[in-house]
Amino acid sequence: MGNSERLIAERGFGMTEAIEVKGLIKRYTSSLKKGWFRREKIIVEALKGISFNVKYGEVFGLLGPNGAGKTTTVKILATLLLPDSGSAKVAGYDVVESSSMVRNNIGVTLTVEKGFFWKLTGRENLKYFGMLMGIKGDNLDRRVNELLNNLGLERLGVSDKFYEEYSLGMKARLSLARALLKDPPILILDEPTLGLDPPSARAMRELLIKLAKEDGKAVLLTTHNMFEAEMMCGRVAIIDEGRIIALGGVDELKRMVARRVIIDIVASGVPIGIDAIKDRISEMIEGNVGLSLDDEGRLRIRILSRTGSEESNLAEAIKILSDLSIRVYRVRLEEPTLEDVFIALTGKSGI
Amino acid sequence: MTGWFDIFRAYLFADICWYKNNRWLLFSYFIWPYLMVALILGFGSMFGSIESYSERLGVSSPILFLLSSTVVAMSSISIVSSVAEFVIENRWSGTLPYIMLTPVDMPIIFIAAGLPDAIISPLITMAAIFPAALYLEGLSGGIRVLTILIFIFLGMLPLLGFSALIASLTLIAKEESNVGQIIIPFLLLVSGVYYPLEVLPSILQFIGRIMPVAYVVEAARLFSKYMIPEIRFVLILIYILTIMTVAYNLLASLTLRGINRALRRKGVV
Repeated sequence: MGNSERLIAERGFGMTEAIEVKGLIKRYTSSLKKGWFRREKIIVEALKGISFNVKYGEVFGLLGPNGAGKTTTVKILATLLLPDSGSAKVAGYDVVESSSMVRNNIGVTLTVEKGFFWKLTGRENLKYFGMLMGIKGDNLDRRVNELLNNLGLERLGVSDKFYEEYSLGMKARLSLARALLKDPPILILDEPTLGLDPPSARAMRELLIKLAKEDGKAVLLTTHNMFEAEMMCGRVAIIDEGRIIALGGVDELKRMVARRVIIDIVASGVPIGIDAIKDRISEMIEGNVGLSLDDEGRLRIRILSRTGSEESNLAEAIKILSDLSIRVYRVRLEEPTLEDVFIALTGKSGI
Repeated sequence: MTGWFDIFRAYLFADICWYKNNRWLLFSYFIWPYLMVALILGFGSMFGSIESYSERLGVSSPILFLLSSTVVAMSSISIVSSVAEFVIENRWSGTLPYIMLTPVDMPIIFIAAGLPDAIISPLITMAAIFPAALYLEGLSGGIRVLTILIFIFLGMLPLLGFSALIASLTLIAKEESNVGQIIIPFLLLVSGVYYPLEVLPSILQFIGRIMPVAYVVEAARLFSKYMIPEIRFVLILIYILTIMTVAYNLLASLTLRGINRALRRKGVV
């Protein structure tokens, strides 16, 4: 029996499915401003019947671009939002009928950059939320101290500083500490590493993996960072426009684009919009093309090419870039990543 | 299992931390009643003597009444602000979803969260005017303001429910409207905090009669006039405030319960 399974048995969760989602549909009524007083009602279908499950002891990733339906899913699972149809069970409890029981079994992080009182210290904030959760007396003090230590806030010397003085990395740690206050068996985290610097993001990832593997917790996280999902998650669901378009283990998904190779080009000096560049390359070569600009303004092109045609595709792409006076300074052939799976499935230029 | 007392305890802790971490705010609470009274007396002296003001209000100690009224006003503003602006402030700070995730019914969260402020705010402002009451009226002044404090506590209970009703308006408003800021000046206007309710138009007088603050002001007037008022007047005020406590809190509870499901459907939180 593995560590997670042993912990699950010990803690008496009594099941391996922490989260079960079946055919979840959610529509929002939104309004479009048509002037000072006129508004036009529009119905947005945020979720179009998604289904998946998350087991205890695993990190499950919900991947998708902005507006794909990730946060809507998280809010439904956290009982903050009611679905229009379909069902969702968390810790064996229905999110609509038994919301209080669901809330007792989950730790939630929605955004890491806010969600605390600015004029209270990190310790005071945690104590306040601990009291709201019904943790009492010495247990509360002990748990707060334990989390401040475990998440490194004590070591950074910021436990007794006002929240307004926290960096984004510290805020993220405090958010996770709040989610862990009750030591819940299930964690639901919406973009827990968004905006963090690389060391903070790495520390957060390692901690979440540890919580799943060693403590047997079920961790559902949303991200649009493919690298992160590949590194952390045992299984992932790729969600796009309210639908799950792929679901499975990371290796399993990568096999969907087997017998293909990635041409990775990094270039600089972009004279026209990246959509125009993408159109030109897509016209000339066979394969999915993804383009993005990094923080330093460098152009990154990833072409998912069939094995055997990578050389001609590369030559064609270099010629187009050269015609546009774009300077290429790195070309590499790679195995496909999760990001390439996403590009292949959606035809979009990455997330 | 989390209950209303956990919410109360959490907010009592947060409020104490808030005052501890914002000492100038606490200091301003002590200064504010005196500034208000000085302002009213300063402006008032341009229109008439302090004696005519005293006669018109029917109080023997106008300064004591003004100080007490200021405590009533400040406590009312504080409680309406903290409950009615609960939604908007927590939405801005991003804490609202985490508060809503507390496994307790929404009406209980709103009312229990406002309760510590309903106790702390009158206590602070009353502590601020207590030395003045002792100085102006001696021991009898001190006893009078303490009696008024009891009425302020009683008045804060229906005001919690009233404020929770305003909070529900904020919840359903599609804009980030700070409904409390519109209600507060109106509440003070129709409650007779600084002048008698009788001078207002009849419609405003009627609205004033259904506001709990008006009865707390009435108690302040009564105890500013007599050291020991007729017991039947005191009992009437207690009955009215008790009925209002039940009525407003029940109404708020029912309204918020209904709104809760609508909010979870719309995804406002």
